[in-house]
Amino acid sequence: MKTKHVLGLTAALMLGGTSLAYAEAIKINGGTAADMVLLPKFLGILVFDQANEGAQEAHAELANGGTLTFQGPTPENSVAGQIEMVTTAATQKLAALMLSNNAGDQISPSAQAAQAAGTKVVTWDSPIPSGAGEDLFISQVDFGSIGVVMADMALSMVGADGGEMAVLSATPDAANQNAWIDAMKKVLAEDAKYAGVKLVDVVYGDDQAEVSYNRALALVDKYPNLEVIMAPTTVGIQAAAKAMQDENLCGKVGVSGLGLPSEMVSYTLNGCAPQFALWDFRDLGYLTYYAAYGLATGQLTGEIGETFTAGRMGDYTIEADPGRANAKRVLMGPFTVYTKDNVEAASK
Amino acid sequence: MLQKIAPQTLRIIALLAVLVLITLFFTTQIEGFLSGRLFNRISSSVAIMALVATGQTLVILTRNIDLSVGSVVGFVAFAAGSMITNHPDLSPAVLLAYSAALGAGFGLINGLLVAYARVPSIIVTLATMALFRSTLVEFSDGKSITTDNLPAWLTDFPNMVVFALGQMEFRAGFCASVLVVIVAHLAMTKLRAARQLYAVGSNPEAADLAGIDAARVVLVAFVLSGVMAGLAGFMFLARFGNITVVAGMGFELKSVASAVVGGVNIFGGSGSVIGAFLGAILVDLLETGLVRWAVVSEFWREAVLGTLILAAVATDTIISRRLTKARAERAQKEALASRVAK
Repeated sequence: MKTKHVLGLTAALMLGGTSLAYAEAIKINGGTAADMVLLPKFLGILVFDQANEGAQEAHAELANGGTLTFQGPTPENSVAGQIEMVTTAATQKLAALMLSNNAGDQISPSAQAAQAAGTKVVTWDSPIPSGAGEDLFISQVDFGSIGVVMADMALSMVGADGGEMAVLSATPDAANQNAWIDAMKKVLAEDAKYAGVKLVDVVYGDDQAEVSYNRALALVDKYPNLEVIMAPTTVGIQAAAKAMQDENLCGKVGVSGLGLPSEMVSYTLNGCAPQFALWDFRDLGYLTYYAAYGLATGQLTGEIGETFTAGRMGDYTIEADPGRANAKRVLMGPFTVYTKDNVEAASK
Repeated sequence: MLQKIAPQTLRIIALLAVLVLITLFFTTQIEGFLSGRLFNRISSSVAIMALVATGQTLVILTRNIDLSVGSVVGFVAFAAGSMITNHPDLSPAVLLAYSAALGAGFGLINGLLVAYARVPSIIVTLATMALFRSTLVEFSDGKSITTDNLPAWLTDFPNMVVFALGQMEFRAGFCASVLVVIVAHLAMTKLRAARQLYAVGSNPEAADLAGIDAARVVLVAFVLSGVMAGLAGFMFLARFGNITVVAGMGFELKSVASAVVGGVNIFGGSGSVIGAFLGAILVDLLETGLVRWAVVSEFWREAVLGTLILAAVATDTIISRRLTKARAERAQKEALASRVAK
């Protein structure tokens, strides 16, 4: 059993403003051939493969006679590789390109060239910051609500008497993580409920196991009263949990953040990382595929307010992105918070 | 008095002095810096880098460089992890041999291209760095290795306490690594065959005239560097347990930095394994100190670290050049004096 905590209060409020005109949901019909490409930040990370599984599921479900290709750059060549692949996509007359952007606004010219060639560009996981060159962004969760989730987990770990927390992030210039950390800081500052949670530091582990591991230990040495390490990255959270386990610090310092159940199960069961959260990357790939296919086959126009049915996941509405002017998004949600009660089932 | 001590020994004494000075500096700056914990942190972390730096030293001695070590560490860590996951009953010795053999294979590819195809090592290993990493991405198929699937003997090994002095724990990973460094150092100073690395590095033509097969020596250096990176990959797997395709990224530069800070001449021919080991400790100490030192922000730390490494190398170069000059002058004076005496 997978218990889902829907922590979308802020998201729901935002939705309320934009989706008053709840139109009839458009059913996406399959059968039309459309060549599509799913382009992750880089290859070799489990979550992106899960997104591909979801997209392949939708691809089969819609009986798309065209091809769905999963291709991406190697980790050390992520930015240049992505730009090159998007440029190539423009010449291939693709119907749709699904992109988890890792190149910031540098990707815009090539994405715009792809659009000019008739390709629909749908971003997922990480958008194009300016929105230029992007038809639609499939947002995994509302970025603001990630701040609430992290603050809640920290609060329950430090307990009623309060305590110190430090953040172990990915890279100092990672757009998603920085947005999430800022969202959490805002929540901590504004809601008196979190007065006991004291954020003492933000450090970066570069999404590498060894760097993250060492940073986690450095935090413990630097702040003797530290109670929580919050790592909003799947690499950082498991490295931190392993470091606490290796140094027998688990009872003293708890690790939390965003992690994958299959990678975190042992740390959650032994108490090193009592709770963490994540969204489902398979669902993200699945929903992205439905939206991209709808746009590519002309069934969706991509206008704000348009509602469509994404197979097994139900109805979604296109709305203005609150975080980026002139950009449109579809909000997936919700979060799943994993504890020792549900982590084992989810890790299978 | 100073002139009596061999330059290599002098260099090691200087390194130790710098280590002590830096430790003292951070102790005055950071509350509770000097403790058994500090030793445990650095020794555990340096255990892996010491192996890579040892291999790197052998290659640099022959006037070459190996930029592919980080990718080899990552590949071996992953491959050994998936091997033990699929065959949980494999004996430790077999897994260790598998790691070393894989590393040797990668080193052989580098070595053949550098020694026999005569392609500059910086080009070869820059290419294989990307190539080995891409092979890993393909091989891994997006999966990662997780600690749960690893046997307890493997994950417990690096943190097993062999003996303790107060708060300072000498853990198995560190002890094993130090053992390898000592063996390598003894081999490099005592074995005739190992001296060929120095000969080829300091003067390839002369080495050739002396009947040394320079190409073969270079090949061996690369293979050994591969083996060291393979062993480091094994240690990486044991220590971190969770292996993704980015494992070991950046190790190439850190190993070069360790060797160069440790007094290994980047133009080949001089340097020692012990020096590189101390260099690795120094780099790690600086990093640990800077992370905890509130004065330096996250964004400036890399720059400060780079500057300190540059300063260390520059000081070393200037001092050793002065020393060599002073020596030469003294030798000349003595020669002159003895001629006058006659």
